[in-house]
Amino acid sequence: MADWIPIALSRDVPVGITRAVIVDTREVMIWRGEDGVAQVWEDRCPHRGMRLSLGFVRGNALNCLYHGWQYGAGANCLRIPAHPDLTVPPTIRANAFAAAETGGMVWMSDDSAAPPPQLPALTPVISLAIEVAPERVLAELGGSTAEPLIELPFAADTLQIGWHRVHAAKTMLHATGAGADIGAATAHLRALRQNLEQGVAA
Amino acid sequence: MSLTDDRAALDQWYTLGALQDFPDGAEVHSRLLGEDLTVRRLADGVEVRAAGRALPVRTEYGHLWTSFGTPERNLFELPESREPDRRWIHCGPVRVRASGLRLVENFLDLAHFPYVHTDILGSEAHPEVAKYEVEQRRDVDELWATKCEFYQPKAAAASDEGQISKYMYRVVSPFNVMLYKTPPTAPDRWDVIALFVQPVDEAVSVANAFMLVIDDTSTDAELSAFQQMIFVQDKIVLENQRPSLLPLQPGRETPTRADLSSVLYRRWLKEKQLRFGTEPRTDLPNA
Ligand code: FES
Ligand SMILES: [Fe+2]
Repeated sequence: MADWIPIALSRDVPVGITRAVIVDTREVMIWRGEDGVAQVWEDRCPHRGMRLSLGFVRGNALNCLYHGWQYGAGANCLRIPAHPDLTVPPTIRANAFAAAETGGMVWMSDDSAAPPPQLPALTPVISLAIEVAPERVLAELGGSTAEPLIELPFAADTLQIGWHRVHAAKTMLHATGAGADIGAATAHLRALRQNLEQGVAA
Repeated sequence: MSLTDDRAALDQWYTLGALQDFPDGAEVHSRLLGEDLTVRRLADGVEVRAAGRALPVRTEYGHLWTSFGTPERNLFELPESREPDRRWIHCGPVRVRASGLRLVENFLDLAHFPYVHTDILGSEAHPEVAKYEVEQRRDVDELWATKCEFYQPKAAAASDEGQISKYMYRVVSPFNVMLYKTPPTAPDRWDVIALFVQPVDEAVSVANAFMLVIDDTSTDAELSAFQQMIFVQDKIVLENQRPSLLPLQPGRETPTRADLSSVLYRRWLKEKQLRFGTEPRTDLPNA
């Protein structure tokens, strides 16, 4: 699998928001604090395992819903409300992945050794879940499992579509376009999805 | 999934729900520890059967109890059930997609009040958990947490202002727990709120809350609705903990001093070698 994986459209993770994403059966979450930087973490609080995507963002910190443990952008725990006077040991941290934003998408990587791809600013079109194996989706759209992007000609334009595997039988697409007609591109992608899902059922 | 082979789990008493939910003559289907059961309420008692075999039955404290194995002890004592001025309130059953052990641990936890039961059992302005005491009472094989105190904006259905509530917790078996709490109307006594968990499958549970309270102002419906509201808030948390099974492996989670009761509870479960509802461990040699 590609080193860097596109997992959401940047537009769908505005400041102050958390978002749960399943990437190849792993539960991860994205959040964006006031500084505007997207963070991608394992969707699990190290304290008692609560999914952090149910937490809440305040300023540049993410707070767990269960006991309010507060994590800074560097994933270290800043505050344990049950012990207000405690200086939290630096070993208490959320499990962060390397994260980047390019081409209007949020990307994650298990190790940040390789630099993230460099893409021009692209206009977000839509994220779509398709209940079909990525291999089939890519074959249909002319992509490859070795590449994180699918180039899909559409009208006079080319859509750049990031994809990620949810699990063996489900794919997420994150479509962008330089100057595409967003309404028409969305309708086109929805029709493609319908064909793919019906093809599976048939 | 079928009946567990976990000896420690089999040799316990479990509730199948409040007796009032088993009407005369009717056959009720239930499930416990991965095995289907049928319950029949007869004129002279209750019959519980699984895989063609009759299981032992108890009917204490307004609940139906059974076991697949041979519990080492009788059902726990609940002396407050003999006090005539207490009201018996049933609340539940509520189905929760989580290990029953996670439910018990949540019930033992003070630190979540400000965040999960905001402005009711806790407030974000007072999140501190003061030091409390825990002990394992070996004679009765129970865990106790005592001297627990917490600031609560609305401690019970009958509260109209905030108070520092005093709590005691008592774990009587891996899936049965109760708390003692000062009622707003009788500060010299203790309300009892019990959580009897029916572990259906490893990660599916049915919660039965049972209250023995001193309150002559609230109606049964108000008392039950209050508890129901609290439990619905807990259910959201419980169904979103990962893993759903309780991890006993060191280092999987991060307890602090406020989690002392959870630390003791997990140690006690390990001592009992209970596996049902726990995350499989990778740090032990294969048995
Ligand atoms: S589980 Fe996150 S703060 Fe307790
Ligand atoms: Fe709770």
